Amino acid sequence: MGTEKPMVKIEHLYKEFDSDTKVLKDINLTINKNEVIAILGPSGTGKSTLLRCLNYLTVPTKGIIEIGDIRIDAENHTKKDVIELRKHSSMVFQGYNLFKNKTAIENVMEALVVVQKKSKEEAEKTALELLAKVGMLERKDFYPSKLSGGQQQRVGIARALAVNPNVLLFDEPTSALDPELVGEVLNTIKSLAEEGTTMILVTHEIGFAREVATRVLFMDGGQIAADGTPEEIIDHPENERIQQFLKFISN
Amino acid sequence: MFKLSYFLEVLPIIARKVNVTFELTIVSTIFALLIGVVVAIINYYKVKGLHQLTRVYVSVMRGTPIVAQLYFFYYGLALYSAVIRDMTPLVAVAVVMSFNMGAFMSESIRGALLSVDEGQKEAAYSLGMTNFQLITRIIIPQAVRVALPPLFNDVINLIKMTSLAFMLGVPDIMGAAKIEGAKTFRYFEIYAAVMLIYWVIIFLLGLVHKVLEKKCANMY
Repeated sequence: MGTEKPMVKIEHLYKEFDSDTKVLKDINLTINKNEVIAILGPSGTGKSTLLRCLNYLTVPTKGIIEIGDIRIDAENHTKKDVIELRKHSSMVFQGYNLFKNKTAIENVMEALVVVQKKSKEEAEKTALELLAKVGMLERKDFYPSKLSGGQQQRVGIARALAVNPNVLLFDEPTSALDPELVGEVLNTIKSLAEEGTTMILVTHEIGFAREVATRVLFMDGGQIAADGTPEEIIDHPENERIQQFLKFISN
Repeated sequence: MFKLSYFLEVLPIIARKVNVTFELTIVSTIFALLIGVVVAIINYYKVKGLHQLTRVYVSVMRGTPIVAQLYFFYYGLALYSAVIRDMTPLVAVAVVMSFNMGAFMSESIRGALLSVDEGQKEAAYSLGMTNFQLITRIIIPQAVRVALPPLFNDVINLIKMTSLAFMLGVPDIMGAAKIEGAKTFRYFEIYAAVMLIYWVIIFLLGLVHKVLEKKCANMY
């Protein structure tokens, strides 16, 4: 296991929106298979930007990202590279972002048919399995407008899983949900974690991060200020900024 | 006083010319839609070079009266273009109205394209979809529903706009009315008939719109 290639590797990643707003400053990170990474930190410290850089929804200014067998340099990349990179990861969004003109099952099938060029039958089979996994099988023919936020997000998770990504990226997946709907989504994510899905979660749910993450990153000012086990970062934080942050969150 | 018998007599004479109105409307709508879609997509993607050009085109078409455009094209530009000189008035009117309506429709379509939220686009990109797949599978199907009401409005305006065709000598409803008027001077009945004809056409179109809109609303 020790010699296995890392799943995600980030080298010297920078993101500047202009010369005054440096959002990411020299991020270096290696993520191995089966790791569940929770990224915590105050707002505006680059958590979401880091996640979005991983599939180039936000194009980094500088640096290298490697996912699986694809390696891409921000200063020298083609459109094709970007599409290849995106095929290796997938994202679950804060606002679900389901395709409104497609039913739950069509949302899950879309990338299988269009990107991976699978047959309709094959895509449908995969989609049914995944919808069952997230507990949305009985609503497979519903359009997003007829689903609750929690249900939409579970379909969103199934859609992200469909492409069989090397790594699943969660961008505050429960922040837009009503409190009573958070649980169903967290449970879905938890069961994925237990299956050993490699994932990166940007979240404000500290308790949840404590429970499912195998590793916690604390971001502050565009840098990774701390990197360790949940025990180290959440239970016994040494960094003063983390202590402040945790205190602030728990209030 | 309004003479019902004359009204009923002149109505079918004028109504016989609706085929000209229909021809102009159908041909112009088809070309205007084509122009509208192309211009809207150029604007949506801000295609370099073309994008500024289409802005000017839309601005001129929306900012000048259609009558001026008709005269400018058929009497002005014609001085320098044999192609335009050889056009029949009907074709010339269709060309100008297509370009004019194309500008309006491009705005209706652009608004509809912009109504598809950024999040869905990001979702498509994050799954590895190309721009082309995104626009054909996600954006256009959703934009159609949003564009329908403003496009129907544009077609309604186009139908009424065709009443200007007679200014270039196209013998349409208005042309027939003028001819009858010169004969009988009974403008009251004649133009009442003209208005009734346009009103019925647009009312029927409105019914079609309602049916389509209902179908769309139930889609998703």
